[in-house]
Amino acid sequence: MKSFIQVIIVAFLFITFLLFLPSLTKERNFKTYSDAQLRSTAKAKGLKAIPNTYEELLKISDDENNPMNLEKIALGKELFFDAKLSLDNTISCSTCHMISKNVDDKKIILNAITSKKQPNDIKDANNCVVCHLSDESGTDRLSTAIGYKGATNPHHLNTMTILNSSLAKYLTWNGEIKTLEQQISNSIQAPHKMNIKADELIKKLKNDEKYINDFKKVFKDKNQENLTFINIQKAIAVYVKTLLTRSSFDEFLEGNNEAISKDAKRGLVNFMNFGCSGCHTGMSVGGQSVQRFPLRHFAGIHDLRPNLGSPPDFKIIDETFPFENKGGYLGRSNTQFFRVPILRNVTKTSPYFHNGAVDKIREAVEIMGRHQVGLNLSDQQIDEIVEFLKTLEGNIVDYSKDTKVIK
Amino acid sequence: MKILNIKVLILLIFLSGILQMDILNISWENLRIVSVVHIFTSIFLCIFYIIPFVNRHAYKYIVIKKVNSISGWILGFVLLMIVLSGIYLFFIGNTGGDIFGIISFNIHLYGSFVLLIFLFSHRKKVKLHMSLVALIFGLTFINMPLYSTETKIENNLLNLKTQKDVIYHNEDWTNSTKCKSCHSDIFNQWANSNHKNLVESNPYYMVMESIAGEVEGSEFKKWCMGCHNPSALTTGLTRTSHAMDDNFLANTLFEPNAQTLVKTFEKHGNTRLEEGVSCLTCHTITDTTSQGNASYTLDITNRKKYPFEDDESTMGKYLGHKFINAKPNVHKDSYMKPLYKESKYCASCHDETSPTTNKQLVSTFKEWEASPYNNKEDKTKNKSCIDCHMTYLKDDKFEPLSGVSTDGGVVKKDVKVHYFAGSNHFLAGLKDKNHEEQVLQLLRTSAKLDVDIKNNQIHVGVENVGAGHHLPTGVADFRELWLDITITDANNKIVFSSGKLAENGDLKIDARPFMKVFGDKDGNPVGLLFWKYEKLLSDTRIPAKTRRVESYDLAKDLKYPLKALVKLNFRIYPQSITSMVQKAFPELPNPPVVELEKLEQVFEK
Repeated sequence: MKSFIQVIIVAFLFITFLLFLPSLTKERNFKTYSDAQLRSTAKAKGLKAIPNTYEELLKISDDENNPMNLEKIALGKELFFDAKLSLDNTISCSTCHMISKNVDDKKIILNAITSKKQPNDIKDANNCVVCHLSDESGTDRLSTAIGYKGATNPHHLNTMTILNSSLAKYLTWNGEIKTLEQQISNSIQAPHKMNIKADELIKKLKNDEKYINDFKKVFKDKNQENLTFINIQKAIAVYVKTLLTRSSFDEFLEGNNEAISKDAKRGLVNFMNFGCSGCHTGMSVGGQSVQRFPLRHFAGIHDLRPNLGSPPDFKIIDETFPFENKGGYLGRSNTQFFRVPILRNVTKTSPYFHNGAVDKIREAVEIMGRHQVGLNLSDQQIDEIVEFLKTLEGNIVDYSKDTKVIK
Repeated sequence: MKILNIKVLILLIFLSGILQMDILNISWENLRIVSVVHIFTSIFLCIFYIIPFVNRHAYKYIVIKKVNSISGWILGFVLLMIVLSGIYLFFIGNTGGDIFGIISFNIHLYGSFVLLIFLFSHRKKVKLHMSLVALIFGLTFINMPLYSTETKIENNLLNLKTQKDVIYHNEDWTNSTKCKSCHSDIFNQWANSNHKNLVESNPYYMVMESIAGEVEGSEFKKWCMGCHNPSALTTGLTRTSHAMDDNFLANTLFEPNAQTLVKTFEKHGNTRLEEGVSCLTCHTITDTTSQGNASYTLDITNRKKYPFEDDESTMGKYLGHKFINAKPNVHKDSYMKPLYKESKYCASCHDETSPTTNKQLVSTFKEWEASPYNNKEDKTKNKSCIDCHMTYLKDDKFEPLSGVSTDGGVVKKDVKVHYFAGSNHFLAGLKDKNHEEQVLQLLRTSAKLDVDIKNNQIHVGVENVGAGHHLPTGVADFRELWLDITITDANNKIVFSSGKLAENGDLKIDARPFMKVFGDKDGNPVGLLFWKYEKLLSDTRIPAKTRRVESYDLAKDLKYPLKALVKLNFRIYPQSITSMVQKAFPELPNPPVVELEKLEQVFEK
């Protein structure tokens, strides 16, 4: 009995002591890096700046099978924004990959709502366009892509941003497609996207004198027909290659220490130290490999909430993903392998993950930390990483301005 | 020996309880720890040690040894009362309106002294023992950190007007849903009010913010967000976002009681920021001025938080509530300041200056300041903002609501309702008709009509009898208040008509709305871009307690008697603006025209 009492008193004192612990311990100090160190480490890890001029752009993305030139870019742009590329003339590439045709237009919303001009000249543009076109996100920001006559993606996949996608080695969510041309053909012909077959499209475009002339001018092949499906793919692909965005992070990589904030620099340290940059690497900060997701599963019973009110809410949880498995997509050959997403502009391309189940970037970072690198990130670490991701947000570079000089 | 141990333990619990008394006024950080120690040790020890001991002790002496000790009986009874009252205080709480809570509090406090007296008088012999040494040791342990740890006070004052350095975190912004668990009525009033529906559930705002960002650059959005979306602005966001429900906009426009907010909070907690003017925004303001825009000072982090208050786990949330309810006065003091009853408090957002031209756009507070309602000498004649806008209305009259603001709280004679009745009945009415009715009742108290026909003219007088500011006020360039006049002659033929709607819903050109019209520097109407205001093109608003007469010419040779039907109509947004907003938000219905006053009079020759 006596020992029992002593145990209780000791326990009492011990609990008291434990409760005071937080005020007795010191805060930890973490190692800091100089800006130059940080920059060289980032470069060593494969993070690169986006080209600033047309000349540099040519160096990285010119392809001898599909050479880049100004006329071709202009033709590709024309095709990109043309709703004729769909069966019922309602959808253009830019319907889902939302960007503004006229970059200098600074009154898109005002004109759209006062009926002066429709954005992108799309008559039945969905109303999100009105406010979101000026975001320049390259995606429609919906959970799942909407295509021909309102059809949604059969796997509930969402539209990936087209910005910087030419820098990726693998395309689409499962990474099975390797060239832009291939994916352009897929997007035009897929029934749930633009739903028009190659020969039908050619027939339609041949009614347009302007296109016939433009194709002739661009492809200059006297022996063969110039307006072909392959050439359409090529022209659009060349235009897509110019859709690159530069951000404050690029300026930092090029030597401007003031370009990004202290928090963002700490976020970059976290990003590299925790292993995020192992996959999210390259000029596009992602898209260079295909990886398993989630890498780690955690046993957990969700939504079992003991409370004093209503009976606990039992729910059978699909543990495939750390979020709702809407659409049931399982990646490449159902092995849960996905292409590593491009992180440039990630802060303006919510919702996240293949089915758009996660709305907020902080939640997405938390999930990636837990399931991919195996770390329970603290609030502060998440904030810093998000601060870094914000520095990847930028607008499309206008390469045409330099080309005049180069010519 | 055993008995002494028990006595020592009870004394320890007693001391940890006494330390929480207001007169000792120990620092809040320490109080938090002491309260946790007090509650957990007393529950733990009562169950595993004290009550079993008392049982055995009583059995041993009463049943076996047949000793009848009066002090023992009293001690047992007092102990029982203290345990029961303690259980009541912690598990049910002392919210103020509950008489058992008040009784329990007094029993727990004074009973513990009685318990102590009987505890030490109830004995056979005194023996000093090593457990007393443990007691002294324990006391020094409690005392040492109490005075050595000074609470860190960070100066997180933030003047929204000049916010530069301080950036809050999502977690700092306590979600309004948390307030709902105890203030459910107030929460629901606020949830359908215009203070809640300032951002994502207000299509007009969403469109205007986007336009402002587009025309003036995205930095400009901060000017809007200062009052409309302080939580986003102070956490470093640069634009307002909106909830999505899969591929569709969340139905925040029509759903009552902020269901999306409640659901989101349940699922995601504070990781997702609550936008708009939340409970915390207004209730953590420390200072205001009427200069510039959003000129209030927020201090959301520097307040006394209870143990487990921010805990996200189910158990933590439960305990957090229990700790608040057991001693709610600190909670109340941290959210309620005398400033909140002054009109100046509202001025920070209800006076507005254009950041580009420096012209006053909205001057509701200044209008009130100059009105007879601002009476510093005679307090009985002084009417502040909350006297009209936060007072319950019934049958078109102010009838202060008698009830509680906290579930189970003190019954108050005049609960300040959080309908924030103003002029925007429309957006509230999409969610809750009772709420809309409150706003319409307030609108109907504002004006009085009179009409006269002479010299072939009709003179209609509109007197601002109820509003302590101009009529209409606020964004008076977007409000439509006008006279709808119909005159019929002896043959029942309409001989004069004014203020009717055209087929497309616009007000016809002959109507004379009471409003102000802004012009830019060249004198052209500014339209949607109200911040470009430089020159006032016209101002036909009616100041407080004044009468304005509108005269219209009639045709000659009218057949008397003439019957005049005059209505004072109000529409919250002109049709043209609603039509524009509908391009982005097609689900938005058209705001109705509401009739504030009606007068029918027959004129003989």
